[in-house]
Amino acid sequence: MRPDTVFDPMMQHERTALAWERTAIASMVSGTLLARRAGDLHVSLAALGVVQVVLGAALLIWTGLRYEQLHAPLRRGESPVHPFAVQFIGITTVVFSGAAMVIAIASTLA
Amino acid sequence: MTPTPDHDRNMNQPDEPPPPARPLERWFPRDPTTVGDDPDYRFTLANERTFLAWVRTALALSAGGLLALTVLDDVRGEEFLGIGLLVISFLTAATAYRRWALNERAMRLNTPLPPSRLPLLMAIGVAIVALVAALIAALN
Repeated sequence: MRPDTVFDPMMQHERTALAWERTAIASMVSGTLLARRAGDLHVSLAALGVVQVVLGAALLIWTGLRYEQLHAPLRRGESPVHPFAVQFIGITTVVFSGAAMVIAIASTLA
Repeated sequence: MTPTPDHDRNMNQPDEPPPPARPLERWFPRDPTTVGDDPDYRFTLANERTFLAWVRTALALSAGGLLALTVLDDVRGEEFLGIGLLVISFLTAATAYRRWALNERAMRLNTPLPPSRLPLLMAIGVAIVALVAALIAALN
């Protein structure tokens, strides 16, 4: 017996959650490479990459938990938007890619 | 002025002239959820997925640049490749949030989405990087 209504039409919420998870994984990969490259310049700078990995992992966990929590509001018809998460990933990506750029230029000039 | 029923409103017509964005706001947009009405959540989520795709592109470029710097140690000119990729990554990341905020603002105010030069700049940047990589391969 098929359901009459679907609480996630066109799988929008699931696709958005998957996009968040893909982004978190990409952040972890990039953080690993940043840790490796920054560690070549100075061992303490590897912490930058490690922080990016940890933030990516936290984002991955947040996405999974949030999608679970969404089921009740979605059935009630509420609109799930997360501008804070967008600002968070936007700012952290700018900061870490800027740090990678600076480290690359600094290690070339050194 | 009699209020128009919802089903008669043309969704493409703006409700009112949008408040002019101050020049600083065009570069550092405020939280767009403070203006206008909630759009259909499907558009908001589509905008969010587009933003995340740009962020993934920036992260992939950054990973490529870091990889080039780390692995290609004996190759002459590898710093240009690595730094070039990292610069493109930074510019993409910096522009992605602005794109998301401007699109969200336009959807909430029922105005046309602002045009984006980001795909064109991305194509040009990656083409330049590919040329640099070809040059490096030829010189080694």
